[in-house]
Amino acid sequence: MIRLSNPNDTSRVVSGISNFLKIDTKLFVVVMIIVFVGVITIYSISYGDTSLVMKQIIRVLVGLTAMVFLAQIHPDTFRLFAPGLYYICLLLLILVLLFGVGKSADRWLDLYFIRFQPSELMKIFVPLMLASYYYDKPLPPRFKYLVIASLIILIPMFLIMKQPDLGTALLIGMSGVIAILLGGMSIRFFIGSTVLLTATLPILWYNLHEYQKQRILTFFEPESDPLGTGYHLIQSKIALGSGGLFGKGYMNGTQSKLEFLPENHTDFIFSAFGEEFGFIGILILMFLYLFIVLRGLSISIKATDNFSRILSGTLSLTIFLYVIVNIGMVIGILPVVGAPLPFMSYGGTSMVTVFAALGIIMSVKSHQRILRK
Amino acid sequence: MSTKARKDSIRKRLNIEEKYGWDRMSDSDEERKSHSSRVIIAIVLVIFVFGTYISKLYQLQVSEHEYYLVKAEDNRIKIRPIQAFRGLILDRHGKTLAENYNTFDLIVKKERVNDIDLFYKNIQKLLKLSNEKMEIIKKQFKNRRLKDVVITENISLKEFSQISVDQHIVPELEITPVSKRIYNHPEALAHVVGYIAKLSESDIESGVIDIREGMTEVGKLGVEKFYQNLLVGKPGYERLETNAQGEVVRIIDKSDPERGLDIHLTIDLDLQIYAYEQMKDKAGSVIVMNPNNGDILAMVSAPGYDTNLFTKKLTTKDYKKLISRKDKPLINRSIAGLYPPGSTIKPFVGLIALDENIFTKTTSVFCGGKYKLKNHKRPFKCWKKEGHGDSDLAYSITQSCDVFFYRLAEVTGIDMLSTKLPKYGFGRKTYIDLYSESSGLMPDRDWKRKTKQLPWYPGETLNIGIGQGYMLTTPIQLAVATSILAGKGETFVPHLFLRSHNIITDQINNYNYDQNRISVPMELENLDVVNRAMWRVVNQSGVGTAAHLNKVKNIEIAGKTGTAQVYSLDKGKLGAKELQDHALFISFAPYENPEIVVSVIVENGGGGSSVAAPIARDIINKYFKQASEVAKK
Repeated sequence: MIRLSNPNDTSRVVSGISNFLKIDTKLFVVVMIIVFVGVITIYSISYGDTSLVMKQIIRVLVGLTAMVFLAQIHPDTFRLFAPGLYYICLLLLILVLLFGVGKSADRWLDLYFIRFQPSELMKIFVPLMLASYYYDKPLPPRFKYLVIASLIILIPMFLIMKQPDLGTALLIGMSGVIAILLGGMSIRFFIGSTVLLTATLPILWYNLHEYQKQRILTFFEPESDPLGTGYHLIQSKIALGSGGLFGKGYMNGTQSKLEFLPENHTDFIFSAFGEEFGFIGILILMFLYLFIVLRGLSISIKATDNFSRILSGTLSLTIFLYVIVNIGMVIGILPVVGAPLPFMSYGGTSMVTVFAALGIIMSVKSHQRILRK
Repeated sequence: MSTKARKDSIRKRLNIEEKYGWDRMSDSDEERKSHSSRVIIAIVLVIFVFGTYISKLYQLQVSEHEYYLVKAEDNRIKIRPIQAFRGLILDRHGKTLAENYNTFDLIVKKERVNDIDLFYKNIQKLLKLSNEKMEIIKKQFKNRRLKDVVITENISLKEFSQISVDQHIVPELEITPVSKRIYNHPEALAHVVGYIAKLSESDIESGVIDIREGMTEVGKLGVEKFYQNLLVGKPGYERLETNAQGEVVRIIDKSDPERGLDIHLTIDLDLQIYAYEQMKDKAGSVIVMNPNNGDILAMVSAPGYDTNLFTKKLTTKDYKKLISRKDKPLINRSIAGLYPPGSTIKPFVGLIALDENIFTKTTSVFCGGKYKLKNHKRPFKCWKKEGHGDSDLAYSITQSCDVFFYRLAEVTGIDMLSTKLPKYGFGRKTYIDLYSESSGLMPDRDWKRKTKQLPWYPGETLNIGIGQGYMLTTPIQLAVATSILAGKGETFVPHLFLRSHNIITDQINNYNYDQNRISVPMELENLDVVNRAMWRVVNQSGVGTAAHLNKVKNIEIAGKTGTAQVYSLDKGKLGAKELQDHALFISFAPYENPEIVVSVIVENGGGGSSVAAPIARDIINKYFKQASEVAKK
């Protein structure tokens, strides 16, 4: 029996456990606060019905398991398995295009015992593959490396866009760009490729589906279509704005509970939270997210090998990217693309994905000292 | 597995070592520094983006909070109005002119229906509705905006009692009494009482109506509009919280309606109907007014129209038919019809000349059938070709001699006429309690210069003297001017309001006579000359222009005929009827101590003495017959 007689003992025990599990206590605690906030918001929206809450808690547990599992694995192992995982996932994406199931977009792969979205896995595997590709390339990298890296990004992007899931494709593309930048690409190359990308925008536009084009168009003038695509954004802004400084109080949100706010427990959970907890609540939440990103980046700086650095940095910034894409969407800075808010939105696959990313970052942190020796 | 991976890793490292040398393997400072600087740039960007987001959120949640709060409330709160009982409109003897009748509507509040299919089945069983009807009901259920679904409208009392017996079959069903407006004498009183109809944007903009929450119908014309704010009472309402599907979540609060005030008018219904009948198939106006208090006993604008059409659902086709009618029934001619006064102006210009000492009662003008004005080629004609000979004022009013009044107007001058005639109300609104009254037109030099960019010509002054030319009056102006003569300079603002009555509190508010006096200073001696001449118009046989009228027993009438020429630019195109003159007659009775003033205008009716005067005489007759019947009782 361990006796917890004084706070020193407690902290020693906690750090002992987290050292044993190879998890970062600070990251873990902050993420769990965000998860808790998400769960109570879902509880409020569903009028105290616990069925959604229970499902969400199960997902969190699955995510935590994934996180702890990945935290045990040595970064070198990730590096060695990266190409294999990447190629398998590419294959799965092709299978989705051939045999996919799903409501409006064919994003799901039905493996009889489990249904999942391979595109969600790519959110991890693309940064992983790029980090493993870039870690041993001399600085400054040659143009050849950039071309190969671009292919690593563009091939899954293309397959995912075909599903069609523009939002995920763009997110993967952006996290790929982050990996290349952290991998040591010179600013000159970056600017060049940005110009190249901009030049391909019109081609991208013509390949978009009508509803995707509509979403982008109404983004620039959402009030022009108050009953259609603009409705989401208008109601989201009303929810946030009516919350005010202190919010309407827990369980008192009218926009979310009376269903004026669409997708209130998935993509627009941030607005539902903001309506009830106000600007103060939002501010605290934003700082929690900021803490996660900065903690991840500091792990990246302290990492002892190039692969770990690129990987943890890219994954931290990918989490950051998902956060700002979702919040940007609900406050009208970015288009409504349908991206969940990490650790808060109701939904299985994305919850597991972000926990997995967190697990890899923790693995980098917990294995650095061993490498130093 | 992990040990195998580690071995692989070491093997790979060794390969790299062979390939690139030991340097590549080490964790070089160069790479570390390069990475750190990139991450630091990233951190700066991250903080910058978060800062931008937080400032945007501050703007949304703190700066624009009020705006979005209102939007959120608009989203969730809907108002369900509860109609208030609209006050009745009654005549001076308490006869009902506008009232409400109850019909029963079967309605269902959406939130009460749980099983919609079962509900459809049950109402079919109870009411035996046709499929067509069922479709309409289903459509209403699908309409998100509606909170109530109307199953059937206007059911009779018999059906009502039948349904109430079986209502337990469909407990969701509510039988609600619906108050509908009905006008008892719609055509005769169309312009006085007016009508109510659905509240529109223009009513809100007009600013004369108190718009209250839950208000659905408002007065559009006549007394219904002018006294809207008294009649309407206070509509009640239920404030409902609804969700995005428009389903009612709960009732937030409720306010009960308050009954409106009953309005008693000065109108005498029997006299009004009688007057309207006299104007059958004619266009024009009849006004009967008490000069001693300003009460309007009858006010007819012919032709009338069925105001009940407007309280039911008026089809656009019917409405178009109404507005395109050539005789323009929608215009209230009594207050907005513009007519040259013709010879009815003569007593007034005569009185002005006497009061201003321009003429005396013995001043005489020779009438040879025409009057020659200096520098004017064509002579001004009198209606009587052979002329009236030497005529004084009294004789000229009695005979309606034009030459005398040409001379009188010339001597008096336009400036005097245009400043003194408004004292009798010409060119001014009478401020009767109705909207859209016209002020007529009293032309003067300024007006001519402004509107026609021309100077005033002397010939035009002569035309004013006989009530022709630019001058235009409304029938109500003529009635008020006549009241001033009948009341010896003292009369009252014409009005329809007698009193309001709050049935609930039994509080009565009477019309405030004291604040609505009209007083025109004048020499009573002069007035007597003019009034006597008007007496002679009706009573001096062989001389007076209306002396042919059969006399009313014991009642002496004073009056003045008028025949106004119709000027029309496209005279040639119009038919004969439109070319006929307007017939006018103003009168008061009895001659001593007048009780009523009657003014009659018949559009394109011909001569005032042959068409308008008999109508006035009949109305006066009717009035005194009624009065004596009341006295007998």
